[in-house]
Amino acid sequence: MPVYVDISRCIGCRSCEVACKRVHGGKGHVNVHMAGDHASVPLFCHHCEEATCTMACFTGALYKDGERTAFDVEKCTGCGLCRLACPFGVVWTDKLAHKCDLCVGKETPTCILTCPANALSTDFELASRRARARAAMAVARGR
Amino acid sequence: MPQVLVPTVCPYCAAGCGFYIAVEKERATGIEYMPEHPANEGSLCSKGNAALEILYHQDRLRHPLKRKGDGWARISWDEALDLITRGLGGALKKHGPDSLGFLASSKCTNEENYLIEKMARCLGSRNIDNCARLCHAPSVVGLNRTLGAAGMTNPIPDLANSKCIFIIGSNLAENHPVLSRWVHRAKDSGAVVIVADPRLTHTAWMADIFLQLKPGTDVALLNGMAHVIIKEGLIDREYINKWTSGYEKLAVVVQDYTPEKVAEITGIPAGDIVRAARAYAISPASAILYSMGITQHCTGTDNVQAVANLALICGHLGKPGSGVMPLRGQNNVQGACDMGALAEFYPGYRNADDPETAKFFSSAWGVSSLPVGRGLTATEMIDAAASGKIKAMYIMGEDPANSDPRSHHTRDALENLEFLVVQDIFITATAQLADVVLPASAWAEKEGTYTSTERRVQWGNKAIEPPGEAKPDLEIVCEVARHLGLEFDYPDAASVLAEINRLVPQYGGITRERLDGAGLVWPCPNLDHPGTPILHSQGFKLPGGRASIVPVMFRPAAEDASWEYPFILTTGRVTVHHNAGSMTRRSPSLIEREPDIFVEINTADATRLKVAEGDEVLITTPRGETTASARLTDRVKRSVVFMPFHFPGTNILTSDVTDPEARIPEFKVSACKISRRY
Repeated sequence: MPVYVDISRCIGCRSCEVACKRVHGGKGHVNVHMAGDHASVPLFCHHCEEATCTMACFTGALYKDGERTAFDVEKCTGCGLCRLACPFGVVWTDKLAHKCDLCVGKETPTCILTCPANALSTDFELASRRARARAAMAVARGR
Repeated sequence: MPQVLVPTVCPYCAAGCGFYIAVEKERATGIEYMPEHPANEGSLCSKGNAALEILYHQDRLRHPLKRKGDGWARISWDEALDLITRGLGGALKKHGPDSLGFLASSKCTNEENYLIEKMARCLGSRNIDNCARLCHAPSVVGLNRTLGAAGMTNPIPDLANSKCIFIIGSNLAENHPVLSRWVHRAKDSGAVVIVADPRLTHTAWMADIFLQLKPGTDVALLNGMAHVIIKEGLIDREYINKWTSGYEKLAVVVQDYTPEKVAEITGIPAGDIVRAARAYAISPASAILYSMGITQHCTGTDNVQAVANLALICGHLGKPGSGVMPLRGQNNVQGACDMGALAEFYPGYRNADDPETAKFFSSAWGVSSLPVGRGLTATEMIDAAASGKIKAMYIMGEDPANSDPRSHHTRDALENLEFLVVQDIFITATAQLADVVLPASAWAEKEGTYTSTERRVQWGNKAIEPPGEAKPDLEIVCEVARHLGLEFDYPDAASVLAEINRLVPQYGGITRERLDGAGLVWPCPNLDHPGTPILHSQGFKLPGGRASIVPVMFRPAAEDASWEYPFILTTGRVTVHHNAGSMTRRSPSLIEREPDIFVEINTADATRLKVAEGDEVLITTPRGETTASARLTDRVKRSVVFMPFHFPGTNILTSDVTDPEARIPEFKVSACKISRRY
């Protein structure tokens, strides 16, 4: 159950970045990337099924917990292999690794709650459903 | 001690988002979202999420200060009030009331604005204004004239009911981010979104039709759309006959504005103008949203009237999803205007030129006489300070040294004053020029009402104590007034609101008791009234109940690109900053995301100037020069450059030519030249 992004809705306001950092003691896990002049893309952990970060982690600090790619801070050595292993560049390290924990313990991740444009959700199908709704309306209107 | 959640209203833009401040051991420790709030549904933008960061900032003013040589000396409140009494009272005695100038604050509560306006006028001075002059003064003039009320006609969530949303001169995705959730919701139900802006902004990403016009050509575009709508018979004849006057004159004026001619003026392809006009006119419910891209021009009032004309000829007013929506910039700029902190209006938009107005308020306030006639506006006060006509000023929570155009002139003018007192939460650039600085409270440290852009009046609760000896602005204003010999006995904000209820008809029923929860939307004339989310559904508050269509002609901006100054500089905001930046530049999680001043230059222009990404460039106008780092982009067209105004350098450059009626400066168009710094 990772957080999915409806790219057509992201307005590049960086609210998810600031909110994530706020609730994670100053260490945020979201990066909003400006993709040229026409779009912005919030990037965060995909919670991959076959998560390369967990494979790289030799202490087992990063591990799969159901759908979630979880993190045990006690086991982390700060070696940075996970950072190198992540194909999306969304795991980072200072003395420890940092990545999206889906706001464990909260009903809904903070980024989803704060997003002014409703661009984020845990519903994989939502963006497609919205696109279909728009397409249907456009057909009905003859445009 | 357990955690308490105190409901509050965001102190940044005018969307009026609600959230909770978590308070533990008398400290604000965190933010909780408020999903039940009607405007933001719990969401918050980056600024809202960072709002608490300024509360405990090391730069907060904790004690009154007086100037001592080149530095500051800490003084007691008694000494500060004595100095103010001598400074303001002395100027009053020696030079008369016209030598005093007051700036109220669109950051402060309605009660505080009401009191400073009352103090100014009770002292006999007409010179009271606020920074609405720099953002929506043309809306106040233009919409009062055409529609009879100056406010957003429909609530924010009502945007979801629109079938066509026309956004002109507003970058709401960055400046009022929560509005984009409603725009997207409308799009999901099939709405067409039109965005007109000189820049390809984040808002333009939402557009089905994007009209990239040359800065300052809005009237031409709007008249061109009216031309198409009239020519193609898409007007709402029934609505025009029933609710408006002046249509025939408009039809004649816009005859000349053919799409081809407008294309030449604006740089927008003629076909797009036609498409946009059709989409706006034929939709069953269309809304126009606008902001400073419409108002900050020497033709600001004309622009606003052209917007209103378009809505009126299509009948897109007074029903769900249909309206004219000026998006205000600050948390209480709507309220500061409602409270009469404006040069031309007493509270409730009573005309200051009308002797009856002065008579009404002098009997209500129990004073023998009040000044009649319009005072000096915020920008005129600066000129009057420079010429020596104004001798002493009281500035509450505003930073003209950064936010006014032509900063060098503004700073010289403020330095020329015999006495300046500034009341703020930080030592702003303006406070740096003061004789006395008073430490005020931030929004979470005091109580009172704020009126958001959708006219929603909400109660702001006190969550924590102000730092050091800082006091709520309301207390400070009352103490200053009492020291100047006025009877200002208000124990709290609620007692001031009770007076506002009696004297401002729109706020008649908006009492303290009714303000728990999401507040009330004015006009709300009495205690049983539920508020009025949609304006103009039963006609207009103008003679005959009719709106007046006032045709306007296109006039070019005061400055254009020339041989010497080949670029047009336009200014605006970025998403992580707010206005003059005294708060957001001190907020770590915001400033780290946009740390410095920059200028957007079109890639082709940059090549010709031999400027690469990140190069330091010098931007020069006849007013002065500023260095900024270059950002190469195709967001702006060739020969247009853009700078954010959150950093002190930008307004050194901007033009102080003003709209003849609303007196708003033309921030959005300044001719400039650019060179690379070696």
